[in-house]
Amino acid sequence: MKNIIILIFIAVIFPLPSLFASETAGGNTHNQDLSEGERTSREKSPSPGRPTNDIAVEGGELSCNACHQHTDYTHEDALRIGERMYREGILPSGEPMKAYVMEDIPVEGSMFSCSACHQHSGLGSVEGTVVTWPTNGRELYLPRYRTGAYKVPETKEEQQKQYRPIPKYYEIEPARPAYTDKSLAKALALGEDPTGRTIDPIMPRYSMNDHDMAILIYYLKHLNDEFSPGVDDTTLHFATVITEGVEQEKADDMLAVLNAYVKARNSLTRHQLRRADFGPFYTSQKSKAYRKVNLQVWKLSGPEETWREQLETYYAKNPVFALVGGIASGSWQKIHEFSENYKLPCIFPITDLPVISEEDWYTLYFSKGYYQEGDSTARYIRDQMKQDALLEDVKVVQIFQQNNPRSQAAARGFSTTWTSLMQRDVLQLVIKEEQLTDEQLQKILDEDAIILAWVDDTRLFTQIEQAGIRPRILFVSSSLLGQALFTLPEQLRNTLLVTHRQAFEENKQKSRFVVQRWLETNDIPLGHFDIQAKMYFLNWMLPGAVKRMQSYFYRDYFIEGFDMMIDQDYAIAVYPRLSFGPGQRYVSKGCYIARLKQGEKKLLPVSDWVIH
Amino acid sequence: MASPSFAADKQYYQKTLVKYRIPDVVLLDHDGKEVRIKEFFDTDQVIIVDFIYGTCTTICPVLSVGFSYFQKKTLKMGEKVRLVSFSIDPDNDTPEIMREYLERYDGQTGWTIFTGKRDDITAVLRSFDAYVSNKMDHYPLTIMRGPEDNQWVRLHGMLSASDLMKEYMQLKKE
Repeated sequence: MKNIIILIFIAVIFPLPSLFASETAGGNTHNQDLSEGERTSREKSPSPGRPTNDIAVEGGELSCNACHQHTDYTHEDALRIGERMYREGILPSGEPMKAYVMEDIPVEGSMFSCSACHQHSGLGSVEGTVVTWPTNGRELYLPRYRTGAYKVPETKEEQQKQYRPIPKYYEIEPARPAYTDKSLAKALALGEDPTGRTIDPIMPRYSMNDHDMAILIYYLKHLNDEFSPGVDDTTLHFATVITEGVEQEKADDMLAVLNAYVKARNSLTRHQLRRADFGPFYTSQKSKAYRKVNLQVWKLSGPEETWREQLETYYAKNPVFALVGGIASGSWQKIHEFSENYKLPCIFPITDLPVISEEDWYTLYFSKGYYQEGDSTARYIRDQMKQDALLEDVKVVQIFQQNNPRSQAAARGFSTTWTSLMQRDVLQLVIKEEQLTDEQLQKILDEDAIILAWVDDTRLFTQIEQAGIRPRILFVSSSLLGQALFTLPEQLRNTLLVTHRQAFEENKQKSRFVVQRWLETNDIPLGHFDIQAKMYFLNWMLPGAVKRMQSYFYRDYFIEGFDMMIDQDYAIAVYPRLSFGPGQRYVSKGCYIARLKQGEKKLLPVSDWVIH
Repeated sequence: MASPSFAADKQYYQKTLVKYRIPDVVLLDHDGKEVRIKEFFDTDQVIIVDFIYGTCTTICPVLSVGFSYFQKKTLKMGEKVRLVSFSIDPDNDTPEIMREYLERYDGQTGWTIFTGKRDDITAVLRSFDAYVSNKMDHYPLTIMRGPEDNQWVRLHGMLSASDLMKEYMQLKKE
């Protein structure tokens, strides 16, 4: 373990101002509750709300009164504590970071943190009219040049010209010089960059002591200061994971579509390499970003417990930049955990059993799978109960299979959401032999009940029907039952509602046609259409995310590229639409509740796609 | 209009007066309660509106800390102001997420966040001329109206606390 003594960093390399001189003297002089009258001085003073009075600025340099603090952290500890400051807005003391934004609005780290705007990667973001600049070590500590710089017109005639002249390369000056620790501290505390320019007031001005500032700067200095593994001068390395138990045909269908992307990417149809060599200097950054793609196939075999080791072996041999696609016969958990631990993006694996987490970062799923069906059912029942007072006293019964993880995932989705929405008990019945025991049957025999039956076997329904149970509503899953859905006893059909977490085919004809034509064009025979359509969508999204990275080959930045994508409904033939957003890791947000159409093997929606 | 920026010669927002027609849609507030928006806007209080979403990375957090601070100040002053935030990401923003969002910004009674069906949200956004096809393209917008006014004050850009307070006080005087 590399030991770094932050003490040296603070006292020698990083002479900071005494940012909290008044605090150490017994109180914070920042007025957190400025009155309107006090605000009127703002035009005279550059920033009445900011802590300028606390900072000693001598001859344009910051002086240091309190940088002899004795704190030593290991390199790892400093990064960990710095990361907490950057991502969660929490100071080493556990208190929230404090700042002023838009000049006079006090803000705490619990409301938003550095990474809210600058992202995990530190590469920043563009949202509407606000551009957030990179704050990762590599970018901060190098001069920033304007890309595509044009010569500022000096005369009126020049201003009226249709084209702006491009300056000679030696005339281009950096937009700002490289930051130093000192100038970075000044930017964070005072909002002034090394050129003396005032940074946009949307960037908070942070109030923190020298010790905390030193840690934050130490973190920023090391944040993505090197490119991520899995990329070299010519090639971007991806892998796709196929687990044991996946039918060969399905694996082939997935791979065929992914390989078509690789083939197209590597065919150089846009003469990328030539353009990089001969293109104008101001576009070289973009042109030189081109990398061929190499796709490895990582097959996992044997028991799930051994998958981690297999993944690590693959990775040690060929570290890849990201996992793309992939397919599992069961849960994605082992691969998910590997991605999380190795900070390795995993984009759109095909699985109905994703890991459900609000915090995990590196795996981007199509949907929550079976869990989503339970979640949407809970919301639908809650809505019905709000509208129909007669449902208030109706018992809610959930039946699921003990040895079926899909059934359990749906039940978990329901229970989690139901508990968060309603203060009502649910009778949970776990079945072992595809049917209820006599004892379980007795519990619902004379009940007016809403029954949720997350099962993939129709014997349960025969049992319910024969026992004379007529539920108020009977919920079943179309993905669990498949075509067996249409064979359920007639007596139960009137009360039947079905969860359906995909688009109805008739509503997606255009998208289906697009995928089918693309498959034909690429000589890929029509196979498992769902798989092919999902991988087609991945192929549709990948070029945008790769292109967005330009030459900034950071994994965090890559996954943030997906976060920034516009909502999609054209290129996806499986879901009604997919929506993206920072940190959102399940891009399909909905599940229909549907009923059977009389006399036809068809479902009709009775709810919206997204149920709140 | 006084300059709201650091630099005396720089203005960070534009102000216009606009008439809007409130659509007759039912949305969900952050408690999951259905609210008819037209009725909600029929009030004798000043209404201030903005547009946000739960996982927004840049604009919304700053708009919301502005609302939060403004609300604290107006509550102390004994003012009754109705703060309204509309989600522009209704697919993801459930009432529960909106509730958490409000708590994160220490929002008190009087600040309501609405989400709902995508089409209804789109209707609201269009009616306030705030619709963008890609939520990542959204821009900072604050719209306010006095109780008797038939026009709205549309403030396009980021506001400081004093900007918002100044516009509010001006609205009250008018």
